[in-house]
Amino acid sequence: MIEVVCNDRLGEKVRVKCNTDDTIGDLKKLIAAQTGTRWNKIVLKKWYTIFKDHVSLGDYEIHDGMNLELYYQ
Amino acid sequence: MGSSKKHRGEKEAAGTTAAAGTGGATEQPPRHREHKKHKHRSGGSGGSGGERRKRSRERGGERGSGRRGAEAEARSSTHGRERSQAEPSERRVKREKRDDGYEAAASSKTSSGDASSLSIEETNKLRAKLGLKPLEVNAIKKEAGTKEEPVTADVINPMALRQREELREKLAAAKEKRLLNQKLGKIKTLGEDDPWLDDTAAWIERSRQLQKEKDLAEKRAKLLEEMDQEFGVSTLVEEEFGQRRQDLYSARDLQGLTVEHAIDSFREGETMILTLKDKGVLQEEEDVLVNVNLVDKERAEKNVELRKKKPDYLPYAEDESVDDLAQQKPRSILSKYDEELEGERPHSFRLEQGGTADGLRERELEEIRAKLRLQAQSLSTVGPRLASEYLTPEEMVTFKKTKRRVKKIRKKEKEVVVRADDLLPLGDQTQDGDFGSRLRGRGRRRVSEVEEEKEPVPQPLPSDDTRVENMDISDEEEGGAPPPGSPQVLEEDEAELELQKQLEKGRRLRQLQQLQQLRDSGEKVVEIVKKLESRQRGWEEDEDPERKGAIVFNATSEFCRTLGEIPTYGLAGNREEQEELMDFERDEERSANGGSESDGEENIGWSTFSASSTTILDEEPIVNRGLAAALLLCQNKGLLETTVQKVARVKAPNKSLPSAVYCIEDKMAIDDKYSRREEYRGFTQDFKEKDGYKPDVKIEYVDETGRKLTPKEAFRQLSHRFHGKGSGKMKTERRMKKLDEEALLKKMSSSDTPLGTVALLQEKQKAQKTPYIVLSGSGKSMNANTITK
Repeated sequence: MIEVVCNDRLGEKVRVKCNTDDTIGDLKKLIAAQTGTRWNKIVLKKWYTIFKDHVSLGDYEIHDGMNLELYYQ
Repeated sequence: MGSSKKHRGEKEAAGTTAAAGTGGATEQPPRHREHKKHKHRSGGSGGSGGERRKRSRERGGERGSGRRGAEAEARSSTHGRERSQAEPSERRVKREKRDDGYEAAASSKTSSGDASSLSIEETNKLRAKLGLKPLEVNAIKKEAGTKEEPVTADVINPMALRQREELREKLAAAKEKRLLNQKLGKIKTLGEDDPWLDDTAAWIERSRQLQKEKDLAEKRAKLLEEMDQEFGVSTLVEEEFGQRRQDLYSARDLQGLTVEHAIDSFREGETMILTLKDKGVLQEEEDVLVNVNLVDKERAEKNVELRKKKPDYLPYAEDESVDDLAQQKPRSILSKYDEELEGERPHSFRLEQGGTADGLRERELEEIRAKLRLQAQSLSTVGPRLASEYLTPEEMVTFKKTKRRVKKIRKKEKEVVVRADDLLPLGDQTQDGDFGSRLRGRGRRRVSEVEEEKEPVPQPLPSDDTRVENMDISDEEEGGAPPPGSPQVLEEDEAELELQKQLEKGRRLRQLQQLQQLRDSGEKVVEIVKKLESRQRGWEEDEDPERKGAIVFNATSEFCRTLGEIPTYGLAGNREEQEELMDFERDEERSANGGSESDGEENIGWSTFSASSTTILDEEPIVNRGLAAALLLCQNKGLLETTVQKVARVKAPNKSLPSAVYCIEDKMAIDDKYSRREEYRGFTQDFKEKDGYKPDVKIEYVDETGRKLTPKEAFRQLSHRFHGKGSGKMKTERRMKKLDEEALLKKMSSSDTPLGTVALLQEKQKAQKTPYIVLSGSGKSMNANTITK
């Protein structure tokens, strides 16, 4: 179980607990549940790397405590 | 390790604060222990002891703080971390600490403010709602660490690794050797020999033994058979073996297989080897036989066809709606894609009994097709061909006149005896007959018919066809009975009768028309006649005194006489009324004043003239019609000069030509003989009287302002006039400027400056009454003092 921090620099900062084998899509759903947006409107990025929905966190090497950038589309 | 156990126990105790802690704790110690086993044997115990102490301290601190903010936890954990950085085993402890810290933080709202997060239970609930599996709290991979808290990685001991690898290799090698030995053990080496190979006695014994075994085997087989026979199982056994024979594959098994070629590709006498076509392993379709060479050939042919680039679609191709076998061809859209969409459907046929196929059905179909094709009728009509001018012999046959039975139309003759009285009217008719005169059928007859209405006039002139004449015009009956006294109707062919009937019909129609016209014109004529009568009466009154013994010359009539006959009068055919009028007038005049000879003569002259003259020239307009007619006549004669003289107009260029109407005289217009006569084309000489005369010719040219022009300017002016255009804008402006400058120059005074200072000076002197002028503004400013300052 890892905790990932998602910040959109507009006031929304959430910490989401998830498994390493969860996909980015699942993570987005968790974020959406906490922020109140729709999960398909969320874009997770790190600089210019957009995290794709079907890849797991482990594959992206997203570890505990990592900061992800939260954008909306 | 006792310490490790303690370790675990303490960890578990710590873990009770949060349920998840246990899971994490259990996993860590085994690894931890292993690690310790290899590396930290020496320092393990010490380290663990130290840890324990530290942990207890830390945990105590933790417990004391209770549910504190994450910062405090983090601080404490980092604190702990700093102290025991070197010991990798401690990492796990710290991680666990952090875990606890996180959990503590998670359940309460963070003091940092902006990061919100849910606790594990809440997260699990959410995950369940979303359909995800719950969080794996134990699986915490902290080897890599995070950016915020970087941790040293495992120390990789290359020596140990190498040793491990070597061990593995050795084990693998040993295993292989063992297996190999096992295998090879069965094979006899060269060194080993069977005893009976060298020793004959042993060999003999061996051979005897073998023989014995064989016999035994035979005996056994026999016994078994006997036993089978006894039990009646032999048949079964035989069946089994028989079945085996039957199961052997033969030609009869080929029945029903499909061969995927057209039956035409197999020629008689040829042997072709067919093989099973490749198909997928999981496909359950039935087997198909193909010949490899044929397949290749077919493919090659198809490729050649494709490469030919034939057009897919012929828009004007006349596709028959019925195919070869006289069945309706289905109309499909974009049929070129059918192969692509539905897949190729190659020709194939099935093998019949005994694996044979004779293609009888195909041949039958072909025969049917051929038969139907012969029967077919093409819709394309026979193309147009030249019509011959002459009848062909075949057509001649059809043209043969069938000889009809002559129907004798025998009219029942009335028992009328032809008497002389009856013949009288006939005679009258033939009296003044015109035997083919030109005027027959024209106005004459009609007029005479009109006259009939008015006066008793001889009967209308007959036409040649007396029968027609005798027929009553208003009679509508077909083939009305000819009036009595008419000649007998001859016996004729029916065709002749028909012809005659048609002709009569036509004639009758024409006559009707004429009569109609006549009736219309007749009415008009009646009116005119009435008018004329009144006029005539007037004339008569006038002429009566003149008529007495005098030849009356009428101005108009004289004029007309001089004019002469109008030869083309009435030939156009439109002048029926006019003609009638004319004729009528004539007749009237004739009848009214029989004495006015001149008119009559004129008229007669006219009529005769009209008959005899031939016309070449145009019809002259009658001048008594009006001025227009007279003018036209004059024009035609050429008495009027209507040619327009050529006058070329020159556009006035830039006001240099003040005269707007300026004609360029065309010398060639002088062409009529009268002016030509006045031209002199001879030798000229100076006048002798003017011998000493030498004039001083001085031609002065002036421009529009009156200035005298220099030769250059004069020539310029002349050329402008000649060419019809002057200078352009720039040029004229320059010229103007120059002229102005010249004018200014002229105006300039020679004794004074251009500004006229001398004059000003004098004026000032006059005003000041002094012979001098002070040049400064005021006296004060020009003092030396002021200047020096």
